[in-house]
Amino acid sequence: MDDLAIEVKDLSFRYRQTTHAALSHVSFSVPKGSFFCIIGGNGVGKSTLCNTFVGLIPHYFLGKMDGDVLVNGQSIIDQSIADLSSQIGLVFQNPFNQLSYTASTVAEELAYGLGNRGVAREEMVTKVEAVAKLMRIDQVFDQNPLDLSGGQAQRVAFGSTFILEPKILVLDECTTQLDPMGADEIFAIVKRLNNEGITVIMVDHDMERVAEYADQVLVLADGSPVLQGAPAEVFGDPRLADFGVEPPDYAAVTQALAKRQLIQDKLGVTKDQAAALVKEGLNHAD
Amino acid sequence: MGSGEPVKSPIEKLNPLTKMLAIFCLGLATLIYPNSWLGLGIVIVLFGVAGMAHILKSFAKTIFGFGIPISLMLFFIQGLYSPKNKTIIADLGFAKLGEEGLLYAAKIVITLLVFLATFYIMNQTTYAGKMVAALTSSGINPQVGYLILASLNVVPQMHRRLDVIKEAQEARGVETTGGLWARLKAYIPLMGPVVMSSLTDAQERGMTLETRGFANTNVKRTSYIEVTTSKADTYLRAGLIIFLVAVIIISILMRW
Amino acid sequence: MQIDLQDLHFGYRPEHEILHGVDLTLAGTDPIAIIGQNGAGKTTLVKQFNGILTPTSGHVLIDGQDVTTQTTAKWSSKVGYVFQNPNDQLFLDSVRKEFEFGPKRIGMSSAEIKQRVDQVAELVELTDDLDTHPFDLDDTQKKFCTIGAIIMMNPDVVVFDEPTCGQDVHGDHLLNHIIQHLTAEGKLCVTISHDMKFVSQNFKRVIVMSQGAVQLDGTPEDVFSQTATLKTCFITPPPLTQLAQTVGFTATPFTTDAFVRAFEEERK
Repeated sequence: MDDLAIEVKDLSFRYRQTTHAALSHVSFSVPKGSFFCIIGGNGVGKSTLCNTFVGLIPHYFLGKMDGDVLVNGQSIIDQSIADLSSQIGLVFQNPFNQLSYTASTVAEELAYGLGNRGVAREEMVTKVEAVAKLMRIDQVFDQNPLDLSGGQAQRVAFGSTFILEPKILVLDECTTQLDPMGADEIFAIVKRLNNEGITVIMVDHDMERVAEYADQVLVLADGSPVLQGAPAEVFGDPRLADFGVEPPDYAAVTQALAKRQLIQDKLGVTKDQAAALVKEGLNHAD
Repeated sequence: MGSGEPVKSPIEKLNPLTKMLAIFCLGLATLIYPNSWLGLGIVIVLFGVAGMAHILKSFAKTIFGFGIPISLMLFFIQGLYSPKNKTIIADLGFAKLGEEGLLYAAKIVITLLVFLATFYIMNQTTYAGKMVAALTSSGINPQVGYLILASLNVVPQMHRRLDVIKEAQEARGVETTGGLWARLKAYIPLMGPVVMSSLTDAQERGMTLETRGFANTNVKRTSYIEVTTSKADTYLRAGLIIFLVAVIIISILMRW
Repeated sequence: MQIDLQDLHFGYRPEHEILHGVDLTLAGTDPIAIIGQNGAGKTTLVKQFNGILTPTSGHVLIDGQDVTTQTTAKWSSKVGYVFQNPNDQLFLDSVRKEFEFGPKRIGMSSAEIKQRVDQVAELVELTDDLDTHPFDLDDTQKKFCTIGAIIMMNPDVVVFDEPTCGQDVHGDHLLNHIIQHLTAEGKLCVTISHDMKFVSQNFKRVIVMSQGAVQLDGTPEDVFSQTATLKTCFITPPPLTQLAQTVGFTATPFTTDAFVRAFEEERK
């Protein structure tokens, strides 16, 4: 279908030399332009799924794969990781392992992926400068990326991915190295890209953040999807705790207040929603 | 190869390929020329070049630091014990000093010095990234270029990692200071994490490279680093080749 | 057990100072959290507690004894330090060996080691994995294996560097449990964390670092109510505190129950 960024069709995967399937019979789809979050406990297959989107499975990690994943309508099986990289980009947890080790300056690091595509130098320079400004790493432009702090290096990792202008962005627990404000700043950029039409697929443990940004949430447990829906549906589901996920504090607090009939019986999953409900509840009491 | 940006000098501005050509032409000319005088002349000129590149002090240190001990050793061995020795200059009692051996030793030393000197100048005045960019644009396999750069970058990174691991093991009661024995014993717990973490790192780094199009085929790679071929490069390259050809002809005539 | 920092200055290079005169006393058993932006100097500070780094000027005293009088390895029996990346600390071929390694270095008796292995394994939930190769553990378990290896040495102070990084709900609960258990045993836990929810709910004392100095030091209620200072330190309070601040509550709640109480208070 034309309006789907990702379509996962009955996907199963087992890593080589393991007996337990990392993913089993996973099917779902991600509409173009959406902000799609995948949540669940550790080891339930979230990263495996992310690696599949960009073609690292089945082309880089060995194992047994069944089913298929379509990226913009085309199967990952028939495309190389390099081909897929023109459409979909991945940022993951450890920033220093996301450096190419070919660059002696941040500028060269940012340009690495463009060089592999054969982009002309003038175009490269313009793009590198723009992305460095966007990620606020222009002040370390000439430094060796290996000398940066974890937070700055992660900004370089983001920049190196953004510069390739992927239409789909996969973020696998990509801000654990950043302090909360640094993470907020990066998510503001991600959200802006999303508003410009980029599809975002995000794995994160911070449920407040998930609730804030996601339009769809998928809960994974032991390699299979168990819940899917808008944040308000998923975080209001009583089975959530069984899947090793705690709803955002805002949801828990509005639930508790509603139970005591202190506010109206609605779930506030974001800070703004919860604040509106609380304010309304207080005014009612007057 | 220097990883930081060296000070700009006319030598630094040259295309790395010109410098590689210089190593080749000057080294080969020294080797072919029947005696050591040409090589000596080249080394003296290279001192001037090192001066232009603002690296005269470290250059001299390297040349003398290497040149003096190696000359003494070769002069001693070849001068006293070479089977070629016919003309005896001095009799030291325990052995005789021969002219042929000395000349032969001088030739080896001067050839080594020319290679060392040209290589040292290139090394000090060429930024690794620029070198690989030049090689890539001239058609070498990008994977080979990657290997050169990555191995240069991995070593300092391993060093940093080793420092962290050393601290982490100290926190577990491992003494890493003190006598040789203590340090040797500490070495084992340090190596494990280094190897283990290198394995995981290598896997993740591979993921990064793949998703940035490392394996892209049928595309001519480009680089952020600008590699230009200036007029100076063109003249110098022509000059180097003419020089080599001339030396070859003169050498043949001299041996006639 | 008491750690005193007296006018502590530190820099890797003299011209680039990272810690600018820190005065702190860490004592008692109430767990302490250290928070602050990336690059605020948190890790550099806690590395002074067992002499991994030593001050360029000023003093660190552990129970009155200057930290520089003996090696980090010697201090490890008093001050345990769990590194952020488990791959830096683990190197043996089974969890059991990892657990036994540190205690042997500091001369703990084999009877005590044997007894502690089972206790600690249970605490960090690795009882069934004692004979597993640490390399085969998942990232979370590896982290708990490192924590176990340090607790095994029975230090009086345990320093955790970013233990919440990458943890899921269960991991957070387990960490909380471990900290409570150690506190009950009379140990002092000092933890660096970016997770404000975790910090506000598990610690009695919160130290805020910014630009190489201590900016705030107090109970979570004290610290997280100082919105202006927190802003200059680039710290956002935990979610429920933010919510309470948005709607103008006077209280600083961290938990759902506290928030509900605050709501009822405000309604009066």
